[in-house]
Amino acid sequence: MAVDVMLLLGVLVAIASVIVALLTVALRDLVYSSSLLAVLGSLVAAFLALLGYYIVAAFIVIVYVGAAVMFIVLTVSMLGGGGVEARNNLRGVLAASVTLVAFTVALITLGIPPGTLPVNVDVRVVSDSLLSDYAVALVVLLVALAATVIEGISVARRR
Amino acid sequence: MSLQYVVLATSVALVAIGVYGLTSSNNLVRQLLSIEVLFNGVVLLVAAIASANPGMLTLLLVVLVSVVSGEVIIVMALVISMYRASRTLSSDVLEERGV
Repeated sequence: MAVDVMLLLGVLVAIASVIVALLTVALRDLVYSSSLLAVLGSLVAAFLALLGYYIVAAFIVIVYVGAAVMFIVLTVSMLGGGGVEARNNLRGVLAASVTLVAFTVALITLGIPPGTLPVNVDVRVVSDSLLSDYAVALVVLLVALAATVIEGISVARRR
Repeated sequence: MSLQYVVLATSVALVAIGVYGLTSSNNLVRQLLSIEVLFNGVVLLVAAIASANPGMLTLLLVVLVSVVSGEVIIVMALVISMYRASRTLSSDVLEERGV
């Protein structure tokens, strides 16, 4: 019997993602939790690479994990826990159950589009399109990101 | 079982875990981390469902990740500012103080 390597890898990454996500929300130490968020981001990037979205996977690793999540890790390391954390597990389990049921019902009711994964994205076409058709949008996005970083620093320094 | 079903199941699980963390904790940083778990689930969900036009979806996901990265920076800056002002990250305590 032939083993579908992509499917096997997908299942392994899926199991790892769910375990890491559970640890991220459950661990008491926020430094470990935020570090695990970086691992989760990397696993999601691996998942997207498996699905054929190579540019998005690279972008997530560089911008999201490399900058945004690292910012959270450094900030949490400096601030500490921020006091005693009160947990209401019953409320959390109830909300998660409702969400799980709602999503499952929605996916079954609306129907899942036929499987076209992994997709075949032509990196050259996408990058050409990004630098020609969407050049203005790309510049606006970069300026907005730079403004956000400057504003973030300004808010954090304000007393 | 196809890869699409694996992705969908994972994305729904991540969204549910994110909602659990968001609603069960009163710590602002934990709530932000839970929102980020939820966001990762949504990215996978979008990638699994809207795969008819992968080129366009790639651009959409790049914009989505950029916007969320900006949001993380702003929220963490607000958390730092709030912590300096009140020495706590508990949303309950901040609510009692009227912050």
